[in-house]
Amino acid sequence: MIYFDNSATTKPLDEVVKLVSEDLQNDELWGNPGSLHELGTSAYKAYIKAKEDIASCFSIREQELVFTSCATESANTAINGFLKRNRRNGRTIISTKTEHRATLSVLEKLSDEGFNVIYLNVGPDGKPDLEQLESSIDGDTSLLCFTHVNNETGAILPLKEIIDIRNSKNRNTAIYIDFVQSAGKLKIDLRELGIELASFSAHKFHGLKGSGLLYIKNGVRIDPFILGGGQQNGMRSGTESLYLSRSTALALKLSQTDIDEHIKTVSEINSYLRSELVKRKATILSPEDALPYVLNVSFEGFESETMLHCLERYNIYVSTISACSSKTKKISYVLEAMGVDRKLATNAVRLSFSRFNTMDEAKTFIEKIDEIYQLFALR
Amino acid sequence: MSNNVILARMGEVTLKGLNRGNFESKLKNNLKYRLKNFGKLNIYQSQSRIWIEPVEGEENPYFKNEETATEILNAVVQVFGIVSASLARKFEGGIDEIRQNAVEYMKEYLKIYPDHHTFKVESKRGNKHFPMTSPEISNEIGGYLLENFDCLKVDVNKPDFIFNVEVRDYCYVYAGKIMGHRGLPVGTAGKGMLLLSGGIDSPVAGYMMASRGMMLEAVYFHSFPYTSDRAKDKVVDLAKIVSRFSGRMKLHVVNFTQIQLDMYKNSRQDMLTVTMRRVMLQIAEKLALQNGCGCLITGESLGQVASQTLEAIQFTNEVVDLPIFRPLIGLDKEATCEISRKIGAFETSILPYEDCCTVFVAKHPKTHPNRDDIIEAEQNLDIAKMVEDGLNGIETIII
Repeated sequence: MIYFDNSATTKPLDEVVKLVSEDLQNDELWGNPGSLHELGTSAYKAYIKAKEDIASCFSIREQELVFTSCATESANTAINGFLKRNRRNGRTIISTKTEHRATLSVLEKLSDEGFNVIYLNVGPDGKPDLEQLESSIDGDTSLLCFTHVNNETGAILPLKEIIDIRNSKNRNTAIYIDFVQSAGKLKIDLRELGIELASFSAHKFHGLKGSGLLYIKNGVRIDPFILGGGQQNGMRSGTESLYLSRSTALALKLSQTDIDEHIKTVSEINSYLRSELVKRKATILSPEDALPYVLNVSFEGFESETMLHCLERYNIYVSTISACSSKTKKISYVLEAMGVDRKLATNAVRLSFSRFNTMDEAKTFIEKIDEIYQLFALR
Repeated sequence: MSNNVILARMGEVTLKGLNRGNFESKLKNNLKYRLKNFGKLNIYQSQSRIWIEPVEGEENPYFKNEETATEILNAVVQVFGIVSASLARKFEGGIDEIRQNAVEYMKEYLKIYPDHHTFKVESKRGNKHFPMTSPEISNEIGGYLLENFDCLKVDVNKPDFIFNVEVRDYCYVYAGKIMGHRGLPVGTAGKGMLLLSGGIDSPVAGYMMASRGMMLEAVYFHSFPYTSDRAKDKVVDLAKIVSRFSGRMKLHVVNFTQIQLDMYKNSRQDMLTVTMRRVMLQIAEKLALQNGCGCLITGESLGQVASQTLEAIQFTNEVVDLPIFRPLIGLDKEATCEISRKIGAFETSILPYEDCCTVFVAKHPKTHPNRDDIIEAEQNLDIAKMVEDGLNGIETIII
């Protein structure tokens, strides 16, 4: 199997699986971290340790981290919670049309509720128009919502510039960043960046599904989304899951080791594929300077889903963003916002890598593409 | 004791002449097959009714509560030949027992239909030794129900429901009825080969032919990787939905990829759909003959798409000798959708996996082809071999 769909999800690490199965059988780790007896206390300590480990990877404090069920929950909590709690901060939100649905759906709902949502233009490089940002931020701008690395194209956000603009225009404007695709692949120092809100997802860095993270900078107040027993400082009620928090901490820690080496390996794979694919009736849709972990390619003569199924025949797994049906062809809204030609977008396939992919796999991929063109290409 | 018998009414079957017996025994067999998962049941006929009850002396858990008994009822009305059915209470005794059972039946009934308030009683007396006449029974039971249920009122003109009392060898009480799908029992009109695509039309076409008593087999043309395996799963699901009405069915999946590719490469673009349908029909006909089917069934509707114009239908029709039944030919899309919803296929039909092979459809297909177009489109194709290849690459699924 060649798995080039790591932006969708990643395979849990063997170490993670081992930890989880051991934890679940561990007689001292199944207590409720909220219980006051010894069993609860030992669970609580292990839980806080996991939080500290994760926090230290992002250079933040344990108290600034909230465990959620997924990054979608994190996004919902962060955006909704901030705006509802800080109404005096303003009623304008600035974002782009290339955000993940988790963000866009929340923004659409807020817009219905009377918030003013400004969507910045996005260039062919997938980056938001910074001049427009600068002219749009004013005293009413409460929140900026952006994605660090776009899940469809790998386009990287000019985060530092955005923070500078915010700092110069309105320091009360908060910044929410979706780090789902970059966590575990790029070093993220939240303390140095100085943003207010951020989200992460464990299953994108070889952890488990069902585990998301939300960063709320110390001093920033938001309304919690899930109410109940007041766990996690009231920010996210619900009994804490020890095996999820511990496995997330382990997965994140392991992703940080040799992080620079990994990006080098993946860059080589990416460059190889780019150079070989353009020789083969394919157009690269990912920007030149995108994160090498994502490569969006359009194959001439193959609608996205057809190419996906062709590759599936060889146990190669990729992703399509555009959904095709006989009546309406929907293309990816991200590519549409970037101004990608409609025909190219119809044939777009996303390859997404992990640090475990190899050059041999990339070579096999190219061989199979040749075979597919021979067998299934339509003139 | 709760409701313990289902009374099903036959429709068109009872109009049959000397062969009525054949139709009736087919109908009973079909009911037996449809209800095979509901425990041991006694299914018998008396006059123009079919009665379904637990085998005497055997426990049948499905009749123990209203909900599961209603499940049986819903299955009964899906069998073609049944006009309507009711859940009834059967017991022995005289007017006192009728009173008592009427009240108990109403308690259950009002739980399901709390907004039904007006009623009238209709009685039938088959047992002429019973000491009261039908109108007397109606009066007595009507009065007794009014005494016991404050919420009820009599309305003989437009009641919310009719409460029925029947006095035969046993006594029966019931109210309300669920309408069935009518038609003729499946198996009384031969067998047809349905071209099933995964869209809205073809399952409806299958349903309609089955309603005339026809057994079905189905054929689906699969073009992986141009259509996904989910599209095939969807066709299997649709076949299952149709088989709720038509009974057991075989689904033949033809591996069509190579044939379609050859056609794409060697035929005229604007004629692809007509050419493809001509090949499909030939494969379907051979398959039909191999499996004892006497006709082909399609979901075509005149003018709906390019391959369903009169000319296109003429040229696809001519390649086979078996009759092709097109029950939707005069229906508009909305009428078809309505039936699709009624049979519970619509939600599955509109799942988006269908026809991802739009690459094979020309941008401007020829809507009014003539003989020359057909000859030109097929001059470079080895149709006989395509048909043979199609027949050699079949996976058969028992639905």
